[in-house]
Amino acid sequence: MNLVRAEVERLSARRFVQLMVVLLVLAFGVTAATTLAGSHKPSAEELSSARSQAAEARQSMENTFQQCLARQNGALPPTDSEQYFPSDCSEIDPTLRDRLPIAADFLPGVFSFAQQARPLLYFLIAFLVLFGFLVGASYIGADLNSGGVVNLLLWRPRRMTVLGAKLGTLLGAVLGLAVVASVVYLATFWVIGQTAGLGGPLGGDFWRSLGAVHGRGLVLVLLASALGFAIATLGRHTSAALGAVAAYAVVWELGARLVLEIVDARRPDQLMLSSYIGAWLSGEARFYDSRLCTGTETGMYCEGFYSLTWAPSLVVLLVLTGALTAAAFAVFRRRDLI
Amino acid sequence: MSAVIEIEGLRKTFHSLRNGRRVAVDGFDLLVEAGQIHGFLGPNGSGKTTTLRALLGLVRADSGRMSVLGEPSPQLLPRVAGRIGAIVESPQFFGNFTGYRTLRLLARAGGVPIARVDEVLDTVGLRDRGDERVKGYSLGMKQRLAVASALLKDPQLLILDEPANGLDPAGIREMRDLMRSLAAAGVTVLVSSHILGEIQLICDHVTIISRGRRVATGRVDEVLAGYDRHEFLVRVAEPERAVELLHEAELTASVDGEALVVGGVTDPTVISRVLGEQGLWVGELTPLRPDLESVFLELTGAGGHPSVPRQVDDSGPLPGAGDAEIDLDVRGVDA
Repeated sequence: MNLVRAEVERLSARRFVQLMVVLLVLAFGVTAATTLAGSHKPSAEELSSARSQAAEARQSMENTFQQCLARQNGALPPTDSEQYFPSDCSEIDPTLRDRLPIAADFLPGVFSFAQQARPLLYFLIAFLVLFGFLVGASYIGADLNSGGVVNLLLWRPRRMTVLGAKLGTLLGAVLGLAVVASVVYLATFWVIGQTAGLGGPLGGDFWRSLGAVHGRGLVLVLLASALGFAIATLGRHTSAALGAVAAYAVVWELGARLVLEIVDARRPDQLMLSSYIGAWLSGEARFYDSRLCTGTETGMYCEGFYSLTWAPSLVVLLVLTGALTAAAFAVFRRRDLI
Repeated sequence: MSAVIEIEGLRKTFHSLRNGRRVAVDGFDLLVEAGQIHGFLGPNGSGKTTTLRALLGLVRADSGRMSVLGEPSPQLLPRVAGRIGAIVESPQFFGNFTGYRTLRLLARAGGVPIARVDEVLDTVGLRDRGDERVKGYSLGMKQRLAVASALLKDPQLLILDEPANGLDPAGIREMRDLMRSLAAAGVTVLVSSHILGEIQLICDHVTIISRGRRVATGRVDEVLAGYDRHEFLVRVAEPERAVELLHEAELTASVDGEALVVGGVTDPTVISRVLGEQGLWVGELTPLRPDLESVFLELTGAGGHPSVPRQVDDSGPLPGAGDAEIDLDVRGVDA
């Protein structure tokens, strides 16, 4: 316990950590201030107008869908014969859409919490993932490089305990900061929505969906922190983690993706870590596979997409992070500290 | 006396893709007994720090047996770590922290009462500078802080690797006094240093390492005595004639500048008598005792030639030195 307390103090005193927290607060402040400045509480007239425009838009979608069905059935009036319709009307079926137009879509200059909460949360999670990775890498990397770990081992000559305490402290601190930051962040924008914008439909489904994204985001932040910590431990330096990520992004995500596309490999997205990160965070990610439509009869609709869902994505992310962390501990256990 | 540090046959080889295989420590032995201030000497790259790191569990030995305070190391080192204060090379501290905070964190991590921090800051002379950030410390102040960190645990065994690094003359003297007072209080001190004069002044025992092997060990005075050629510096009015007279008396003598060096003499009155009987009166008769520096340079072969820059790996036991190792350590000699 004493070791963890000492590590918490060391972590919180790091200039880099303090800088990242200041950047987080700054980004948060700028986003909130610009949102507040650019939003206003809609008047009754604006609301009424927006609601009718949304209703009209929904009706228009329904009409188009009905016309498409009518054309399929050969009952389309001649006046509408030049309008474009897809061969498969289900493509424009309003009931199959992710979302239908709502009043908030027709309220320019009005911040809608219900509409913006998810992208705002994605932005925060992206920042926290970066924060966790960099802090995780620099926390152990700087200590290994400067001899801080050696100093500590002279006091507590139990390598696994020392490294475990460091990783545990890192994950606990990052999780604590991420939870506090995200709750304050969402609460602030909720207040902006209520007082200077539009709350929007905030039913149980909304909070459940937002909570799921939040929970998955926090897991991603923890995985990124552990990954940064593990790679820096393996490479003995902060820059090892940064270099590994940069090399992976350039060599694999860009270079190998290009090569795989040139050789027409099947489903290259399945080989990319970014696909699993996206799928985990949003719950599901869809990717195009031209071969899915091979053999489809002409005129028949073929979507050509396949999905990655959150469950296998979590397995991939856990296995990768777990393997690197285990390797870091195994190497650190036997390494000569010179 | 009980052994506080025992090392037998320690061997450590480093491997690297660029430099290949390098034997850093090659069958090294070390014995430090309770209450000693034991000097650990060796040229750069001779294996001193590697030995200390292996002893403290920081590098893995290829083979050999080590024990500290009666416990095998590194296997059971955690059992006695609370009784060992150590600095290995110049430890790096977090520049952003004050000296006080640095020590408080270590005290907290090691379960030492925080009140001890003020005590050790006072002991190493940093009482009034403890609230300053470490990055503003001079090299000597950082070294004092390192020593303070080693003293925090109120150790039974203190291992200091180059503790005088960066210290000014007054600081070196304070460090010497500190080690003496600790030894007087029953703390066993193992100190490695390049400042041979300091080692000779403060240490009662010494071990010399060269190319990873022990080349001498024992009480400092006994190691020096082993290299005493019983030579005397003699000043007389007619040196050339004096040499002839001494040769006739079957003594070795040679002219060295304006003086003579007479060797093979156990009783210096013989010199006075031989020369005095022939009317040559001795103006100066000084015994030429070996100091630790000359013994160290001879044993490690680190003296070299003034006109040829010595390379780090040039040091080493002289041909056959392995066989000729001086081991004057006699258990119980102080008892």
